[in-house]
Amino acid sequence: MNNITVVRKLLKLSWNALMANPLRSFLTTLGIIIGSLTIIIVVALGEGAKKDIEQQYSSMSVTTILINAPSTVDGAASKLSYADVEPIKQLPSIATAIPQLSGRVQMQYSGQSSNLSVLGTTPDIQQLANLILVKGRFFTTEENDHHIKVAVIGATVAEELFGDRYADVVGKTIMVGKKEFEVIGLLEYKGGSVGPTTIDDSIFTPYSSAYRYILGINGRFNMNAQANDVKLINQAVDEISKSLRETHSLKPGMNDDFRVRDMGTTVSAAVNSSRTMSVLLASVGIVVLLVGGIGIMNIMYVTVTERTKEIGIRKAIGAQSEYILFQFLFEAFILSLVGFFIGCILSFGVFFLLKKFEVSVILVWWSYLLSFFTTVSIGIFFGWYPAQKAASLNPIDALRYE
Amino acid sequence: MTNTLLSLKNIIKSYQIKSETYEILKGLDIEIKRGDFVAIMGPSGSGKSTLLNIIGCLDSPTSGLYTLEDKNVSGLSERELAVIRNTYIGFIFQNFNLIPSLSVIDNVLLPSFYLGKEDHKRAEELLSSMGLAERLSFKPNELSGGQKQRVAIARALMNDPSFLLADEPTGALDSKTGKEIMELIVDLNKKEGKTILMVTHDPIIAERAHRIIRLQDGKIVHE
Repeated sequence: MNNITVVRKLLKLSWNALMANPLRSFLTTLGIIIGSLTIIIVVALGEGAKKDIEQQYSSMSVTTILINAPSTVDGAASKLSYADVEPIKQLPSIATAIPQLSGRVQMQYSGQSSNLSVLGTTPDIQQLANLILVKGRFFTTEENDHHIKVAVIGATVAEELFGDRYADVVGKTIMVGKKEFEVIGLLEYKGGSVGPTTIDDSIFTPYSSAYRYILGINGRFNMNAQANDVKLINQAVDEISKSLRETHSLKPGMNDDFRVRDMGTTVSAAVNSSRTMSVLLASVGIVVLLVGGIGIMNIMYVTVTERTKEIGIRKAIGAQSEYILFQFLFEAFILSLVGFFIGCILSFGVFFLLKKFEVSVILVWWSYLLSFFTTVSIGIFFGWYPAQKAASLNPIDALRYE
Repeated sequence: MTNTLLSLKNIIKSYQIKSETYEILKGLDIEIKRGDFVAIMGPSGSGKSTLLNIIGCLDSPTSGLYTLEDKNVSGLSERELAVIRNTYIGFIFQNFNLIPSLSVIDNVLLPSFYLGKEDHKRAEELLSSMGLAERLSFKPNELSGGQKQRVAIARALMNDPSFLLADEPTGALDSKTGKEIMELIVDLNKKEGKTILMVTHDPIIAERAHRIIRLQDGKIVHE
């Protein structure tokens, strides 16, 4: 009889012992199930968030600078407005700057209705956000100057209102809020966004039309600028701040009523915060596993006590301590392994559930590996002491135990 | 191979409880020959159980020499004692001490598993000879008391030990079944030449042995 046979026998023995009390075994492993599941899902959420960030900023270049208004500054509303665009455009390090007035609004086309984003801006956005038209044309500066009600729509908007991402939309009239807008262009499907808004489910209109007919003062205002060169980003940020302080007539010592961030910093901040979140959630998973491990230890102690007599019999007929040790250690091992497998199966369920609620999750193979190793080491770690206790029982006392 | 199976020389076992020392066994000398059938009798507190534990290698004497199969086993480690128990000693307990979660055949196989070579054929043969061929996959709680003790005897014989150590083997059985089990033990000695050491307080049962060792207050009072 070789070692493998012995191990197999002991595993079978442990399995039978666990199956003698299936409900208790299941409850014992519950902590492990939840813990291993948590680790897998947390990693999936982290990966999803990372992809989101990548996608969100994918259509913007590193030379993009974001200018927006914090909700309130010293209790007063920000003075950031359309009037700031021209002075910033004139700065030496800036190639171009665009205003963005955004908000969500109900849109309709022949009975189809959907709540979608409006972005009022200038034609420069086309180059800045690298927007590609599949049909029609973009609006012009003249149309902006004369607040003409025209719109360029994203692929998802076309899908929502016209039923098809490639529908023949040019020339059709849609209801945006309470006003009729003529569709003049359709954008290519991007899966990306301009700052906070996604391109695909937005319509783009001249800034003045969006302000006058749709959003008014309820719209959220911000600006995107583009530096002339990567090396000029810091200079550009400084120039923008200085220019805005002047036009907003802020005295020295007063706080900025605007926020200027360059893309590189923004993306790395977003990545960092999502990473911090993942680490936090992963530590929750580890804590759950630790608690699960303590549950295993607890039940294993009970099991060892309940089976003191059996241990005594086994020792009397010649079982060496290692046999007893491994018999009980395997029980803890099996509990954690089964817990891990159940956690794995549940992870698919949770994955699809989260998907259904449009949470971005991506399952990755290494999260299973991570979960496996953590779970099994915890099982063995916490199973060791009860097993050791069983192995070191004195056979005479154990035999006498009732 | 000498004719002496085991010998105890001046075996003393004492326990220290706080500052008091209690001497349970006060210098015993026992020699048991191969093929012998010995009954150990004595009132409770006489040191019977302690002697049984020492002979069964479950416990070590405080002093004295215990030789089993020409080996000095008095100073062996826990690990070495486990091997001795496994190979040389077949235990038969008053309460059968079968493992309730294991089937009859698995209970009988257990000593050979710990020896490192499971022998299904031998286990089946032993159980057949005990009239239990039809009960291999039964659990102990599905058997009568007499059947349980037969399974226990089969388990004791599994590794073909040097001797059987029986502790009140009929103590938990009714008189009829007890008699059957006694016949079985006597047969093992008579027909198969098994050396048997049996602890009992029943003089009628003790009569079946070749020798009776009487113990009182940790000493042999009469042989």
